[in-house]
Amino acid sequence: MMHRIMIGLAALSMSACALTTPDTSISELDNARAAIAAAKAAGAEQCAPKLQAQAVANLYWAAHEFSEGDYHPDENAELAATAESKAKQARAKAAKGCKPEIIKLNGIRFHNDKADITPTAAAILDKAVATLKRRASIKVEVAAHTDSRASDAYNLALSNRRAASVMAYLQSHGISAARLSAKGYGESQPIASNATKAGRAQNRRVELRVQ
Amino acid sequence: MRIVLLLSALFAFAMSANAGVVDRAAALQAQLKGNNSYHAHLARELADVAETELDQHDINVARSFMKMAEDQAAKAGGAK
Repeated sequence: MMHRIMIGLAALSMSACALTTPDTSISELDNARAAIAAAKAAGAEQCAPKLQAQAVANLYWAAHEFSEGDYHPDENAELAATAESKAKQARAKAAKGCKPEIIKLNGIRFHNDKADITPTAAAILDKAVATLKRRASIKVEVAAHTDSRASDAYNLALSNRRAASVMAYLQSHGISAARLSAKGYGESQPIASNATKAGRAQNRRVELRVQ
Repeated sequence: MRIVLLLSALFAFAMSANAGVVDRAAALQAQLKGNNSYHAHLARELADVAETELDQHDINVARSFMKMAEDQAAKAGGAK
């Protein structure tokens, strides 16, 4: 008797180890599937990644719940409806266009008229190196910006030097040049007012734009 | 006596399976911190589903969703 129980439990354990992806092709999920496909085609994975991810996760979850039968029909339908609704929101957001993902390098400072990497900047860039190594599939543009003091031409040249300096640092710490580009934007893309000291400090920045 | 041992072993197995999913979800969240790509978001969402299923004592389903979450995390650049 004990033997049979053991064999039964072993078989149960084996079946418990079989990990399967839920079947999303059932007819109850037609609307959700179509909404997700439309959102993806509109660029939702790039422009509304969280909403699109919520839609897809709910689709899988609904597919699993439907596979368990009609124990909770209302909940199953609600999950499917959530998947569809999130996908429609993602599509609408994508239709408006989107800005590229930016990895901020908060706190990077350069000495006046210099592009050398300071020890403080190096500590921040080391974190960026770790991020880029972890996210090995992405390419980034090193974008450097200045405030509006000095002439346009001077600011553009200075930001180009700083972008190149940051790119060189990333390369020297193991990030492939093929994943990097550098561009100085000078004072052309302020994020705060140049009329105040605090605003100018915000405008003097370097960021990584995911391509 | 053997039945008691068997039930104890089963209980321990269930507990370790629970801890496994919870630990893997925590590791995934840590690996993807600051990653806002589609695959990273999907990994987090699927891990949330896994933990919800775990709360409902559906260990098998929780492990399936956790596996899917880890596949997405790998695509997002989070170590698997």
